[in-house]
Amino acid sequence: MHYVIIGNGVSGITAALTLRQRDARARITVISGEGDYFISRTALMYAYMDRMNLRDLEPFERKTYDKQRIDRVRAWVRDLDASRHLLRLADGRELTYDKLLLATGSVPNRFDWPGLSDVKEGAVHFVSLQHLAECERLTPSTKQAVVVGGGLIGVELVECLVHHGVEVDFLVRESWYWPMALAREEGDIIAGHIRAHGVRLHLEHEVTAVTAAPSGRVAGVRTNHGLDLPCQMLGICIGVRPATDWLKEVATPPAIGRGIRVNPSFQTPLPDVYAAGDCAEFTRPDGSPQVEQIWYAAKRQGEQAARAMLGDAVEYRPPLFYNSAKFFEIEYTTVGDVTRLPDDARSFFHRLPGPHASIRLIERNGAVIGFNMLGSRWDHTFFERWIAERRSMADVVPQLHLAQFDVEFGRAHLESARVAFAEYQRRNGLQAA
Amino acid sequence: MIKAGTAHWLLHDVKNRGLTAWLLSVLLTAFYLVLYFTEWFTPPARAIGLDSKWTLYGLLYTLAVTAGGLWVIRKYRHNRYQIVRTSVVIFVQATFAFSIPHLLKFLHQPEYYFSYLWPLKMDYLTPSYIFSLPLPFILYSFLGSALMVPLFAAFFGKRWYCSWICGCGGLANTFGEPWRHLSDKSSTSWKIEKITIHTVLGTSLLLTALLFISWGAGKSHPELARFTTGFQSFYGLIVSSMLAGVVGVGLYPLGGTRLWCRFFCPMAALLGLVQKFGRYRITVKENMCISCGMCSKYCEMGIDVRSYAQAGKSFTRASCVGCGLCAEVCPRGVLRLENKSHRDPQESILIQIQPAPSARPLI
Ligand SMILES: Cc1cc2nc3c(=O)[nH]c(=O)nc-3n(C[C@H](O)[C@H](O)[C@H](O)COP(=O)(O)OP(=O)(O)OC[C@H]3O[C@@H](n4cnc5c(N)ncnc54)[C@H](O)[C@@H]3O)c2cc1C
Ligand code: SF4
Ligand code: SF4
Repeated sequence: MHYVIIGNGVSGITAALTLRQRDARARITVISGEGDYFISRTALMYAYMDRMNLRDLEPFERKTYDKQRIDRVRAWVRDLDASRHLLRLADGRELTYDKLLLATGSVPNRFDWPGLSDVKEGAVHFVSLQHLAECERLTPSTKQAVVVGGGLIGVELVECLVHHGVEVDFLVRESWYWPMALAREEGDIIAGHIRAHGVRLHLEHEVTAVTAAPSGRVAGVRTNHGLDLPCQMLGICIGVRPATDWLKEVATPPAIGRGIRVNPSFQTPLPDVYAAGDCAEFTRPDGSPQVEQIWYAAKRQGEQAARAMLGDAVEYRPPLFYNSAKFFEIEYTTVGDVTRLPDDARSFFHRLPGPHASIRLIERNGAVIGFNMLGSRWDHTFFERWIAERRSMADVVPQLHLAQFDVEFGRAHLESARVAFAEYQRRNGLQAA
Repeated sequence: MIKAGTAHWLLHDVKNRGLTAWLLSVLLTAFYLVLYFTEWFTPPARAIGLDSKWTLYGLLYTLAVTAGGLWVIRKYRHNRYQIVRTSVVIFVQATFAFSIPHLLKFLHQPEYYFSYLWPLKMDYLTPSYIFSLPLPFILYSFLGSALMVPLFAAFFGKRWYCSWICGCGGLANTFGEPWRHLSDKSSTSWKIEKITIHTVLGTSLLLTALLFISWGAGKSHPELARFTTGFQSFYGLIVSSMLAGVVGVGLYPLGGTRLWCRFFCPMAALLGLVQKFGRYRITVKENMCISCGMCSKYCEMGIDVRSYAQAGKSFTRASCVGCGLCAEVCPRGVLRLENKSHRDPQESILIQIQPAPSARPLI
């Protein structure tokens, strides 16, 4: 049996290791155009800031691949012919497989702003090793940069640029920072923190035009409020989308929607072709498409897709959403539903003592459904449990300390939260706990 | 990518085995060779009113720990564990490892270092020396090594000693902070470490046994007494001078700050064995690690923390000194140092999470 995996990201490599664990004899090949070894994309920023070397980004020792007999091929795959179980690589090589996993991850979104097509240099993304190299090449000749897009990759790029002494204008379309995941109060805390690092954060600003210098290097952007911002680097961080473009031109394209469409067993309609990770699209019970573009999901999917390829009966259902991030120094943990809530949901928000710490609990029909915590550390597994057990907020608030995960001597103080919660209950005409 | 500017380039160079790091390493090594094997430091010590080169060394050491420590406290000012721990390190160095022994000497008492214990300080269980001291010192030496060391290690892990009290660890975690990331993380170096550190431990135990035997029976077996004395000076030269001093500190800028602690220290070996069976562990938050590798990079003991974290496995490694830096640098708060005997009952119940109605995109 020859398993071939396209993509050496976390989903592809997790799949390869899972396959090896269960099948000692199979041949396993992982192909990637990006690099020879699996790297942690999440740590690109630390390489950019010289806190790590590129080599440190590799989560496994290099000898692991030999030990596990995982063949690595460095090439871009250009063609897929599922009827002949055949792949064609950019360098002309051909490769046959018995079972194929597409784990091609994401590529950054780009918007065709007027003038952008004249820019030959300086408009950057921050997703791959190649992007990192490009950013590093341009940074020394950059005094000012504009970063567009207030998501997690955007703020990471901003942090890196600030680290290198670049003046940054950070454009965010929404009226507070990251409404997709944060309510206004948390958004304000983060915005204040970003500004405290000397970043000029412009809320409700969008790019309307980009200008290039005669050399082709980006020279500035204009925003919808008429702001002209000179820059020598333009960071485009307006989201990522599944890496499927190349699949549209192959001999036998799989079904493609937002991502590569798969059933709950990770199968595409093509025989013996599976997909997992950032590039895979599932269908929710209500028929809407679902793409999970986070590390944890990619890892989970890689493992389960491998099991499906081995013949296990796999019914993948994305578990309760959780995530974590760090905005400069502020750590963030979230579980469940916290934004875009139904009208009957109630929200308890409280700022803990200390510069940036806050907690938010969301309750609906007497059961907690979400947590959004800033500035202190929490063990998300407790939140997951409380949500699964349909506990009420009144039940959970006095027990919050159980979920604290701060360093020793450094626990955030929760007394004020209990007082504030009693007040919240009184205000809402609820019985005190 | 290195920050622009000569100063940043230099800083990068000295922290990452560049030319300046090699130069500094040569200087530090030369300093230790001169200190141990010549009397060149005696005149300058006398000139500033100190009684010996060792007192001068103690003073420099204390200054290095204090200055480095204050800088570390500033750097990690948001982390209470680091503030408390580093303050204790500075305090212990300034008192038990420097001023108190000299005060004792001034009071015509033995120059005794309460912060050092056997088998790090072999003298303190060398019968011919220890039995020449007043009773309280004898009791402290024996009870300290036999009871305090293993008991505290069982409850708090080896960190109570290695990164709160010990001078070697103290210097590593203060003055040595810029080089902590240089420790080798490969599985090969883990294999080597297990061999070398237990070899030194075995040697130190053997030497102590011989010292007691020859103390008791040396008169009737002069050849045994001679052999033991030879063995003792050999151990003193190789382990205490060469490995702890010259290699241990001299190679800071090339091999990281805990070469001695990790590969050779018999005390660390002993504490590590107790730690393996004690309460201390690093708890890993399930499924929250993003494999970024910051924890492994900044672990001074060369532990590949990421390999445990990404597998979601809480762990206790014998070599972990509990410095807490892996937990500090982890951008996702995945790690926590703990010495609870068991997790909260809540935590042990495995639960089945219901599928969620929605998943929000990340970016
Ligand atoms: C800067 C940054 C920070 C992030 N931080 C976080 C975070 O903190 N938390 C979090 O949960 N998630 C984070 N993410 C998202 C997370 O990294 C992704 O969800 C995860 O890496 C997806 O893994 P994957 O295996 O599906 O794909 P990828 O890691 O994208 O790997 C896909 C690989 O396939 C290769 N490939 C694609 N097409 C081809 C082809 N035709 N031929 C050959 N090779 C091909 C690509 O080059 C790539 O190497 C971050 C992402 C970025 C970019
Ligand atoms: S594992 Fe963590 S606490 Fe232990 S020595 Fe390494 S960095 Fe320090
Ligand atoms: S620093 Fe944290 S997130 Fe990064 S690899 Fe270590 S445990 Fe995982």
